Amino acid sequence: MNVFVWRRAAAISHKEVFHILRDPFTLATALALPVFMVIIFGIAIEFNVKNVALAVSDSDRTQSSRRLLDTFGSSGYFLLHSAASPEEAMSDVTEERARAALIIPPRFEMDLFAGRSAQAQILVDGSDNSTVGPVLGYVGTIQGIASQRIGNFTPPNIYELRTRFLFNPELNSRWFVIPGLTVVVMAILAILLTALTVAREWENGSMELLLSTPVQPLEIIIGKVAPYGVLGVIAVAFVYVIARTVFGVPFVGNLAVFGLGCLIFLLTYLAMGILISVVTRKQVVAMQVAMTVGMLPTQLLSGFIFPIESMPVFFQYLTMILPARWFMSIARDTFLKGSSFIELGGAFLALSLCCVLMIFLASRRFKRDLEP
Amino acid sequence: MNRTLLGFIKKELVQTLRDPRMRVLLFVVPVIQLTLFGVAISTEVKNIRLAAVFDSRDTVLRDIYERSIAGRWFIPARGQEQDPYKLIESDKADAVLVPPPGGFTRALGRGHAPLQLLVNATNVLQAQSVEAYLQNIIQQTLRDDLKFTQPLPPIQFTTRVLFNPDLNTAVFMVPGTLCMIMIITTMVMANIAIVREKEMGTFEMLISAPVSRSEIIYGKTIPYVILGMSNFPLILAVAVFIFQVPMRGSLLVLFLAVFAFVCTAVALGTLISTYCKNQQQASLAGFLFIFPMIMFSGLMFPVENMPTAIQWIAYFDPLTHYMGLLRNIMLKGGGASYVMTHIAILALMAVVTVIASFRRFHTTLQ
Repeated sequence: MNVFVWRRAAAISHKEVFHILRDPFTLATALALPVFMVIIFGIAIEFNVKNVALAVSDSDRTQSSRRLLDTFGSSGYFLLHSAASPEEAMSDVTEERARAALIIPPRFEMDLFAGRSAQAQILVDGSDNSTVGPVLGYVGTIQGIASQRIGNFTPPNIYELRTRFLFNPELNSRWFVIPGLTVVVMAILAILLTALTVAREWENGSMELLLSTPVQPLEIIIGKVAPYGVLGVIAVAFVYVIARTVFGVPFVGNLAVFGLGCLIFLLTYLAMGILISVVTRKQVVAMQVAMTVGMLPTQLLSGFIFPIESMPVFFQYLTMILPARWFMSIARDTFLKGSSFIELGGAFLALSLCCVLMIFLASRRFKRDLEP
Repeated sequence: MNRTLLGFIKKELVQTLRDPRMRVLLFVVPVIQLTLFGVAISTEVKNIRLAAVFDSRDTVLRDIYERSIAGRWFIPARGQEQDPYKLIESDKADAVLVPPPGGFTRALGRGHAPLQLLVNATNVLQAQSVEAYLQNIIQQTLRDDLKFTQPLPPIQFTTRVLFNPDLNTAVFMVPGTLCMIMIITTMVMANIAIVREKEMGTFEMLISAPVSRSEIIYGKTIPYVILGMSNFPLILAVAVFIFQVPMRGSLLVLFLAVFAFVCTAVALGTLISTYCKNQQQASLAGFLFIFPMIMFSGLMFPVENMPTAIQWIAYFDPLTHYMGLLRNIMLKGGGASYVMTHIAILALMAVVTVIASFRRFHTTLQ
């Protein structure tokens, strides 16, 4: 009696397929949404900070100070606008009209010609951490250029750091973002697709019916997960084509390795959705839980933007329970580095463990429902 | 306010909070999430695994390596491999310093010393930081080891980082995550409140009851505005007392901004609900809206970096304005014209969405 019968799982799948087909909105969302998101954010996201609004207060008004402004303007990093006084430059930062302010004091040129070091002040808006680092870096570069152009100063060059960026030589933001974005979008989508399925049956009363049949919990779970898994794989295939053709992201790895990782990853999140559904039994609660579990942790803790290595040690271990973290490294490494299955063995093992655990927990919790 | 509406609001609040799990989700989970993200996330790149290929005579390079490890950004790479490329390829190191043949120290003696740095650039953000960090360390080491003092460039900048001089990530992240958490609780709740009734069929009952259309809309939205607002002091307390996020502006202005945002989010949820037939659709629609809203809000990627056309989309994202307001008020004390403009924009968005949902309701009810 308690054996797993494929035919019964297939019957559940069959029914779920009808359910999906009857609701064109869900079907369209599942297929089109990932592609749509990847296109929009593939265009939108750019890590190389440019056009930083810079408020300039020049109290010196000499040829040297104008040449300094010119150096800032022609660097391409800054968009300059003048402020009447240092106070106004400062208030531009407070009013979000400028990200940084450059204040040139009255004696700038005099100091420069006298051979003293000419001072100028830079104020950087620290309320947005992501621009502070790059802006400080640009200021350093411009200091060198300006010293050379205005002060005829050439620093002695005794060493030279030649950096080679492997796997993404031009530091193309898109190559980095798109594989990660795919992971995040698919995780949230998968969890939402199944999070309501079982709860819905409880609310509609059709669960009672299902329970009176000989079908087993594991069969229900497999049956419900399988069609959405197929849907997810098709969606990822679309995204893959867009990434390669529209954005020119290289894929140097083995497609089969990526595909296998993708399948396990989708199953894990679909099973997680079912688990939420089984535990909550109410669609309102299930949806809130799914949003909470799916949305923010996958965006913030999976290593998508904020590196896991920078977290405190305890949290580095905590992210290990997040399946998206593992597929994130599989996706990035197969796309850009071409890592083999063996090299990714650890990630695959962890991902598979998560997957088995989710399916196991979902069917365990289900069982208790069957035999109250 | 009339009695029908009051009763309606009461019923809605009771219905939502009756389930203890819902109370936990609305009041406890946001606090946990805020704490979790506030502690865990750092925008500063740290713990980069560095390796350097040097022999015992190459004292300067060894010094550079040891100083890097002693600093807070780098940790030693695990592998013992000699091939620098393999070290990175097999994921044992993130960056490797490779000296010219004969060693870096000897090359310095010759007057021309190229030092090669291999960086794993699969993570663009990390790769960018590595180079800058190492430049600093190398310059410092050369200054100390070779007694080599570079003459000061004639132009000097004194830089000051305003509002967050220590570049404490929590100060910047916590107001941001606070916004993200709030949009999920308010918008999703408001959306599902109506869709649930539609799916259950109780919406028909509501229509046939002696309540007016506006009473239905207000009764379905005001409770969620109340819930969203009651949520806020709690997470604000966590931000200010646990994470020491400064609160430099006026509390009143802050609450005004929060109120404008919560109204917009609830109105948007209501508008979306008129298009959804069941809760499955509502949850996907929630994703369809909330995910881009978070991505465009400027928390993970600065809006200024985006192409102009895309920046326009970001201006239609209420979360962008809310996050800007929250940071401006909390960290900068609130620039009067900025705060007023953006609260006005949020209010306008709320009004437009409320009008739109009134219209939609009209057609749905007939």
